[in-house]
Amino acid sequence: MLMAIIKKELLQLWRDPRLLALMIVMPLVLLILFGVALKLEPDNVRMAYYDQDRSIFALNIRTHLWSEGYFDLYEVDSKQQITEEIRSGRAKAGLWIPETFTAELIENEQPHVTIFVDGTMPSLTTAMKYNSDSTTDSEVTHDMYFQEPDETPVVIAEDPFILDVEVLFNPGEKETWFFLPGVIGVLIMQVALILTGISVVREREKRTLEQLLVTPVSKISFVMGKVLPYVVIALLDFYFILAAGWLLFDLPQPSSHFLLFLLALVFVAVMIALGLLISLLAKTQQQAMFIAIFIIVPSILLSGFIFPLEAIPGSVRPLSYCIPFTYFVEVIRGLLIKHTLWQDLMIDYLALMGFAVLFVGLSIIKFKRTL
Amino acid sequence: MIEAVDLTKRFGQNLAVDSVSLSIPKGQIFGLLGPNAAGKTTLIRMLCGILKADGGHLSIDDKTGLLAKSHYGYVAQYFGQYEELTVWENLKFYAQMYNVTDTAHLEQLLSRYQLDTFKHRPAGKLSGGYQRRLALVCAVAHDPEVLFLDEPTAGIDPVTRKILWDEFYRLSGEGKTLFVTTHYMEEAQRCHQLAFISSGKIVARGTPSSIISALGDVDVYATHLSYQPELREELSQLEGMVLLNQFGDELRLVVRASLSQQELASRISNITGQASDLDKTTANLEDVFIALTQSRAD
Repeated sequence: MLMAIIKKELLQLWRDPRLLALMIVMPLVLLILFGVALKLEPDNVRMAYYDQDRSIFALNIRTHLWSEGYFDLYEVDSKQQITEEIRSGRAKAGLWIPETFTAELIENEQPHVTIFVDGTMPSLTTAMKYNSDSTTDSEVTHDMYFQEPDETPVVIAEDPFILDVEVLFNPGEKETWFFLPGVIGVLIMQVALILTGISVVREREKRTLEQLLVTPVSKISFVMGKVLPYVVIALLDFYFILAAGWLLFDLPQPSSHFLLFLLALVFVAVMIALGLLISLLAKTQQQAMFIAIFIIVPSILLSGFIFPLEAIPGSVRPLSYCIPFTYFVEVIRGLLIKHTLWQDLMIDYLALMGFAVLFVGLSIIKFKRTL
Repeated sequence: MIEAVDLTKRFGQNLAVDSVSLSIPKGQIFGLLGPNAAGKTTLIRMLCGILKADGGHLSIDDKTGLLAKSHYGYVAQYFGQYEELTVWENLKFYAQMYNVTDTAHLEQLLSRYQLDTFKHRPAGKLSGGYQRRLALVCAVAHDPEVLFLDEPTAGIDPVTRKILWDEFYRLSGEGKTLFVTTHYMEEAQRCHQLAFISSGKIVARGTPSSIISALGDVDVYATHLSYQPELREELSQLEGMVLLNQFGDELRLVVRASLSQQELASRISNITGQASDLDKTTANLEDVFIALTQSRAD
């Protein structure tokens, strides 16, 4: 009896080639993808610098930071601008060399050089701090010692300058601040994809679709009728989870409640529409579940949610930008933690809206009035 | 009114429906008869617009495509209403799909189909017979001119079947056109017009009485005999034997005119060892059904 049931289960699986393909090919694809893409050590982290000193010594520091390959330096024209670059997400780090640097260096007054790091992503923050430490290594500083000819040489010299590392946004480097906003997105993604992922395929399996298709129901009514109620439900769910985050984990308030609502609305719409598309593509509820999972897993790993986007190799990075969740993570961290300006988030909002339109459009195309 | 010309549907290599043309006037009950896998459901689904025909032309009430949709209703072979919704919620939903919102009209329909007592019961909790009534009431909520019914009484008890057929007659009397697929002979008998489909082709059509002539020039005999495999074996070998059909203690024989009554009688008594009283009778629809199905299979 046992063997008969086992055999029957295997036969049923074997007769569903799409499911088999999903079970075998997708894990392989994801394994290779993650094998290539997932590294904890980022490189080419964008660093905005403002060098007021412009001496050979300042150049030395910049060259060193650049030559390690870890930071990718570009110039801005004020100290304030460094903060803004990091707030907008264009840079993850900043370097400020003050005007008096060389003057103080010559006088052995130990000038200060400041490195700013983005604190919203603690793993990246730690890595950036670690990588900027070498700035005070002797290979950088050995030309920076100034001595009077009659002075007795010091055996162990102090560093000629002091490197200050300032953590911006989330100075306490709280891991919960970093993860929780993204977690909300993951939860919503799961709810939305699974809720709508089965919605059409279930009607197909229960044969209610056949009766529905006979009616003059329009494509738009069908698709929007399937999308809208779930958008409202998932939206309520979003605020429910967020409220729990505020209550239980002291999550900061957003810079703008309107923008947060807009984000929730657009993201939820994207996910519900994607769920509907899955449901139209899948032939069985099982297949729909598999497809949903295979969208959720790379979304979590490649979106910058856990691993910094900077750590994803350039060859795979375009894929990260094909994941709606990537934009969600960027925006929600911007709103809750960095208080990023609206202008700097606009592109992310536009990307999310683009996805919503794309998925709804594809669903309308994919919805056939015939069986 | 249904007009179909050369409707064709292919599934891969298999020609499921092969150039079927139909013209069904208003107010008729049209029966599509055929064995399983003959193409009945495929044809009815094409007529309802939920399966795209590979070729041919179709109009319902002189409308085609989307425009025709509000002119017909459809009851699928399997229960396709929402099990979680109540009878009333299902009916309102389907009515709204056709922009019908007149609740008094819907209430009236419920009582006409004796569903008013189950108004607030989830559809999934209804018995098979009431589920079929619900499907029917949902299909007629928008008062369509044409009704497509795919095996509407399959698996339904005789009393409910009669009630449903009374309803079909009433609808036909009101001038509605009904298209019914079935493989029940007594049901086929009730239709005004019949078409017999086999392997995707219409092989016979006409009124129930005229379709019997599809058998050609045959004689039909009946005798009282219990089932005997060797007798069956022997008789089926005979030149001119069209069909052997055992019904309990009755054996029906459909034979070409070349096979005489005397020869048959002697063959039978040779095997059974006793004289048999062979009564000459007339062919019925079941004889036609089985004979046509067998001849296509051969």
